[in-house]
Amino acid sequence: MAENGSVAWSSVGKKVITGITGFALMGFIIAHLIGNLTLFIGPAQFNGYAHFLESILYGWFVIAFEVVMVFVFLFHMIAAITVAWTDRRQARTEGYRYAKNAGGKSRKTLSSTTMIYTGILIIFFVIGHIYLFKINPSHENLYATVSAAFSGIGFTIFTLVVMVLLGFHLRHGFWSAFQSLGWTNDKYLPLLTKLALVFAVIMAIGFFVIPVYMYFSGDSSFTMPGGH
Amino acid sequence: MSDNGMTIHLKIWRQAQGATSGKFVDYTVENVLPEMSFLEMLDILNETLVQKGEEAIEFDNDCREGICGTCGMVIGGVAHGPHAGSTTCEIRMRQFKDGDTITVEPFRAKPFKLIKDLVVDRSAFDRIQQKGGFVTMNVGSAPDGNAFPIPKDHADHAMDAAACIGCGACVAACPNASASLFVSAKISQLSWLPQGEPERARRALAMIAQMDAEGFGDCSNHGECEAVCPKEISIGNIARMRREYLKGALKG
Amino acid sequence: MTDSKILDPKIPSGPLAEKWDRHEQENPLVSPGKNRREKTIIIVGTGLAGGGAAATLGELGYNVLNFCIQDTPRRAHSVAAQGGINASKNYQNDGDSVYRLFYDTIKGGDYRSREANTYRLAQLSMGIIDQCVAMGVPFAREYGGTLANRSFGGVQVSRTFYARGQTGQQLLLGVYAALSRQIAAGTVKMFPRHEMLDLVVVDGRARGIIARELLTGEIKRFEADAVVLATGGYSPVFYLSTNAVNSNATAIWRAHRRGAYFANPCYTQIHPTAIPQLGDYQSKLTLMSESLRNDGRVWVPKKPGDKRRPNEIPEEERDYYLERRYPAFGNLVPRDIAARAALVECNAGKSAYFSDRAVYLDFAEAIGRLGKDVVADRYGNLFAMYEEIIGDNPYETPMTIYPAPHYTMGGLWVDYNLQSTIEGLFVAGEANFSDHGANRLGASALMQGLADGYFIVPRVVSNYLAGAKLKPVDTGNDAFKAAEDDTRKYLQRLLAIKGSRTVRDIHWELGRTMWNNVGMSRNAEGLKQAIADVSKLREEFWQNLKLTGNDADLNKQLEQANRLSDYLELGELMARDALMREESCGGHFREEHKTEEGEAKRDDANFTFVSAWEYTGANKEPFLHKEDLKFEFVELKTRSYK
Repeated sequence: MAENGSVAWSSVGKKVITGITGFALMGFIIAHLIGNLTLFIGPAQFNGYAHFLESILYGWFVIAFEVVMVFVFLFHMIAAITVAWTDRRQARTEGYRYAKNAGGKSRKTLSSTTMIYTGILIIFFVIGHIYLFKINPSHENLYATVSAAFSGIGFTIFTLVVMVLLGFHLRHGFWSAFQSLGWTNDKYLPLLTKLALVFAVIMAIGFFVIPVYMYFSGDSSFTMPGGH
Repeated sequence: MSDNGMTIHLKIWRQAQGATSGKFVDYTVENVLPEMSFLEMLDILNETLVQKGEEAIEFDNDCREGICGTCGMVIGGVAHGPHAGSTTCEIRMRQFKDGDTITVEPFRAKPFKLIKDLVVDRSAFDRIQQKGGFVTMNVGSAPDGNAFPIPKDHADHAMDAAACIGCGACVAACPNASASLFVSAKISQLSWLPQGEPERARRALAMIAQMDAEGFGDCSNHGECEAVCPKEISIGNIARMRREYLKGALKG
Repeated sequence: MTDSKILDPKIPSGPLAEKWDRHEQENPLVSPGKNRREKTIIIVGTGLAGGGAAATLGELGYNVLNFCIQDTPRRAHSVAAQGGINASKNYQNDGDSVYRLFYDTIKGGDYRSREANTYRLAQLSMGIIDQCVAMGVPFAREYGGTLANRSFGGVQVSRTFYARGQTGQQLLLGVYAALSRQIAAGTVKMFPRHEMLDLVVVDGRARGIIARELLTGEIKRFEADAVVLATGGYSPVFYLSTNAVNSNATAIWRAHRRGAYFANPCYTQIHPTAIPQLGDYQSKLTLMSESLRNDGRVWVPKKPGDKRRPNEIPEEERDYYLERRYPAFGNLVPRDIAARAALVECNAGKSAYFSDRAVYLDFAEAIGRLGKDVVADRYGNLFAMYEEIIGDNPYETPMTIYPAPHYTMGGLWVDYNLQSTIEGLFVAGEANFSDHGANRLGASALMQGLADGYFIVPRVVSNYLAGAKLKPVDTGNDAFKAAEDDTRKYLQRLLAIKGSRTVRDIHWELGRTMWNNVGMSRNAEGLKQAIADVSKLREEFWQNLKLTGNDADLNKQLEQANRLSDYLELGELMARDALMREESCGGHFREEHKTEEGEAKRDDANFTFVSAWEYTGANKEPFLHKEDLKFEFVELKTRSYK
């Protein structure tokens, strides 16, 4: 609720923020997935890709990108949490004793009602992910770190579960971002909701096959040619 | 028309005026005919209550043909009950089976203060409308009705949105108790018409600010509102409202 | 008791077409600013007439207090009008004109309306459309972007503007928008969930009202310089009608008790196409739009008592009685004629398979001619509504219909200035008697509501306030105190009866008595019976009513009981008026007065007048006054739709 009358932090303003940051995050995971697919080409190529990223603008690109992404995540989270938790609780202080989904034209799904939970899990995953693959490992041989991580069945399965949840998040989040920014109408909305499913499945499968591939064919003893 | 009277069990929310809480009370109505409306069944129940000296159940209702927007309750967990595109008064008992138990609750949202039993206060909608849901012009200053041609599809879109009856089911059904569909219907209607053009930025900003000030929740794009809307107003209007809001906000 | 008076309608002099303009020019106005802000106007009702007047007087700068019984002004019963609104724009180039709309309305009303008022209505009709368009009412449009029209029963031009099947709703939302703007501007103060229970008259002028806040039961006094009643009609006197269940006559009846004369109470409109009554549990009758008669064919079995399913009755055993009796207009005869014809057939034992009070409306021919898709496009929502209620699919089994009380042409008597017999009390919309004579044409109620609301009331009230020398009054005045005490006692008396019959039970009985004796077809014997029965029922009501709850809470049973107490007096007056009027005209059909072919037979020599009844006390005979109707511009003819 925009009790202070702020245009940006109004109910609609918050949707716009969630939508814009949502698009940024979706753009990020698309790029991230494409980059990660270099794993399938070969260890050297993957490490090369990692080096390339770190070398742009003498490393300043990654730092700038990370700063931006921190803000994107923060705004996405804070806006979403106020929408789905705080404002919601204030707007219905006494809940229904018995309520059902309306069905029919409703787009309320397991995916839409669990956005806040899948979102929280994903953010924890992202933090762990950054620690594991960004802060902790050798920057020279990222491939070895990845292979080592996915050599255990437990971590691999955990990752797979999170990727399914990511799919759930995107299944509502994809079209919802368009809707939140007003980039839809009655004609395109049905199409966008279908596309959302396609996008969610592609992203989930995309991120799904990497751990599976690494678990079965990863080689954690790989060393970069030329020493180290 | 039919002789197959049903027995219907009801769990109806009763709450005295001024009370902070209420409770479900169980009732049974016999000989309910499929062609009866849901409200006519409640009429029969009220007749028996009054005969017994008990207070009748209060529920808002008026035209009983789905256009005034007065009635509204959550029937069996769904705002306006089990038939899509219907108001509470349009629900017929043929939607239920003999022996069914139906819960009946008021529309619940903090801005819809509960008054008594199933009656709630929806005056927040009036206050939102007063912030800009109109065209500023006085009687007497209108040009000829055909002075500005309006493309048929624009007029049709405006009419789709204008069909809103202000019943509040969108708020009642929304998991967040958002009034977005109601507000968007009015903003959207006027955005399709040349008459709404001069004030469109001001209108969107002011009405949304009032919606927020009333304490309605924000929208999570669940679309429950569209599913329960008796006039089947689409959430495409909410997208349009956001465009209007963005345009208004960016113009400053 | 006074002597019988001939009432002066105060019609301006001059040619018909110049009367209103002349009147506008000759009357005084209140100057803008402080002078207007200091004038308070009470308006009861927020429909097209009341809401329109409140918004417009607010725009002019008066201090307006606007009351409605609904929780918001947007729910006034104007919202339920389906078909459209007439205006003599002649956009279709089919020869329409102000004169033609005026003439059609006079003829449709069976020559029992006032020429000058009806002409003014036709004149103002055009401005209404312009105004509504400018406010953003989404009327139907042609592909070129111009306004679309449809045709309606009883006329030969296409002059009806519409917004799908929700024209009343859209026009009312236009009024509501204008009203919202004035509420925000502070010129109109809105009192929703307030019911007017008495009129306060000080020194012979209407100076305020007593209203009950419906949530808390608080009785409040409101003072003003003028009072406008726009509270609609009284069809629920029949219990079952197409009106909303809270529609009531209490405001006008309480004003009647305070001295406003009641005009033509027996003129009621029975709409021919409602869904038939199914049982005693029913709370209302659902209207099926008049537009259905454009494509549907009305019939009954030729053989009395034939209860076969309609599809089992062969073509040659069906009687398409409207086409047979009225070959020129066929299924599109005016409402009163179509309604009465259905009654005649049902009385002869010819009716639909499940009810003795239903006839068929058959779309088989239209589906064959146009295809199912076209028919679905035109009437799909109505067909779905019908199927939900009756359980038959109208695409396969003919629809069934029966007439239902719909509109009341009678109401408080007003002069040309819409002023009642109490000075300072104005009455607008369906609540007054003025423009429709003995029968209203389709799509004319919305026209009258907005003409009164947007144009006439703002002008005539301004004229009154400018001309009247009003002494200041405040709500501490004895008249206010007495009226408040009366109101309080009245409600307490209702709660104290503690008998055994519920409000609904008694209202149902009143409704059946009225429907059977003062309905579509009336005779002296039945009307005398109705007078006796209603009077007896009223006595029983005051001795045997059962109520629960109290008067300091939201109590709809109490509200309805209070309204029923007025209907129990009004019902009797309707019967008396019908008994007095020894002729048949429009919606008033006396079986003793018909042609050899069974059509209505007017008696112009003796009954070309408006009856205006004066209240003389509870259980006392009312007193009849008259306004002679002078036809200077049209010639009285027998209506023929054959």
